[in-house]
Amino acid sequence: MSSNDERPTAANRDAANWAKMVSRLKVAQVPDGAVNLNVDGRQLASPIQGFGKMWQKTYLVRLPGERIAPAEVIATWRRQFGDFWPSGNHFYGPLTGIEPGDVALLNLRMPGGSKLSTGVMVLYADEESFTLMTPQGHMFAGWITFSAAQQGDETVVQTQVLMRASDPVFELALTMGGHGQEDRFWGETLGNVAAHFGCPEAVVDTKVVCVDKRRQWSRWRNVWHSSAIRSAIYMAEAPIRGAQNLTHRRHPAS
Amino acid sequence: MATREALAHVRLRDGVAVIELVGDLNAAAEPALDEAWTAATRERPDAVVLSFENSGYINSTGIALVVGLLASARAHRIPIRAYGLSDHYREIFEITRLADFMAIEDDEDQAIHGAIHGAIHGDAQGAGGDGNG
Repeated sequence: MSSNDERPTAANRDAANWAKMVSRLKVAQVPDGAVNLNVDGRQLASPIQGFGKMWQKTYLVRLPGERIAPAEVIATWRRQFGDFWPSGNHFYGPLTGIEPGDVALLNLRMPGGSKLSTGVMVLYADEESFTLMTPQGHMFAGWITFSAAQQGDETVVQTQVLMRASDPVFELALTMGGHGQEDRFWGETLGNVAAHFGCPEAVVDTKVVCVDKRRQWSRWRNVWHSSAIRSAIYMAEAPIRGAQNLTHRRHPAS
Repeated sequence: MATREALAHVRLRDGVAVIELVGDLNAAAEPALDEAWTAATRERPDAVVLSFENSGYINSTGIALVVGLLASARAHRIPIRAYGLSDHYREIFEITRLADFMAIEDDEDQAIHGAIHGAIHGDAQGAGGDGNG
C-alpha cells in the first residue's frame, strides 16, 4: 500500500479523537454553583495567539508500571478530572468525563481570595492522552496535554503545558509569582493522581523551557477579553445584581 | 494502536528548505523533527516548507511539535508554509488555529512559489508571527 493510500486510514484512525470545528465556544450546560463567564461566544486561542513569552512546562510523575497501566490512568483521569485539582478550584465538565469537543467551565481561586471564571475545550482525547485548549481571555493562550506512557517498568504520567500569557496583565502576573503558582497547581494535581493510584510519596519532576522569549506586542489588545478583569467586574457588580433580583421578587412582572 | 515511525527528510529547492514528514507525528517524532529543523535552517534558507504528503496520524502532541517549529521559525524570522495536508488535518490546523500563522497550500509548487513570493514581500503570516517581539 502506498503512503497516499494510507492517508484516509490515518484520518479515520483519529477522526473521533479530535474536536469538531467550532468558530465560537458554546457552553451546553451550567452545573449548579458554576459561574458561566468568559466562555460563551469566545474563540479558541492557540499558543501563537497569545501575548507573552512562550513556555513549555512539563510535570511528570513515575508510577509502578507492573500494576498501573497507562490506559487505566488516562481513563480514570478523564472520568474524574476535576477531583484531582487542588482544593478551592473547580472544573465543571460533563459528568460522563472528558470527550473531544466538550466545553468545561473553570472557577479558579486566585491570590487575595478572588475568583476567576473561565473555561476550556477538550481538543483531543484518546486512550493514552487528552488535550485541553483555552479560549480568548483565559490566563494563557495554549494547550495542556495530559498523557501516560510505559517507559521500562514504569508508567510515566505527564502534564505538559504549551502556553503564552494571553495579555500584558497576565504576563505581569506570571512574572510576579504566577509561574510558581501554576507549577504548584499542576504538581499538586499530579500528586493527587499518584495518590489515587496508591503512590502518595511519588515525586513530581518539573521541567520548564522558554520556547520563544519574545513577546508579541501587537497582541496587547487581548486584554479586552481578560477573564481576570471581567471576573473582577462581575464580582464588583454582585451587590447590584442582588438588589435587582430582590426588586424583581418584590415586584414580579405581570 | 499501530504507529508508523516518524522520519523527516530535508532537501533544498530554489533556496527553500523542504522538510518532508513521513510516518506518524506524535511524541516519538520529536527527535526526528528537531534534527530535520536543525539541518533545514543550518544554511539559512529563504523559507521552510513542511510537507505532510506522506505523513500519517497526527495527535495533539504532534500538533504541539509543529507549534514549536513555528515558534522557532518566528524567533529566527524564517517564513514557514505547509502543503499536502488531508482535508481532515487541514480542519485540525483550522481548529488549533495553526492555520492563522502558517499558510497551507495544496502542493509543493504552490508552497515554494508562495514562500519565495512571501519572503520577497515580507509576508507576516509566512514568517510565523507578527514579528515585533
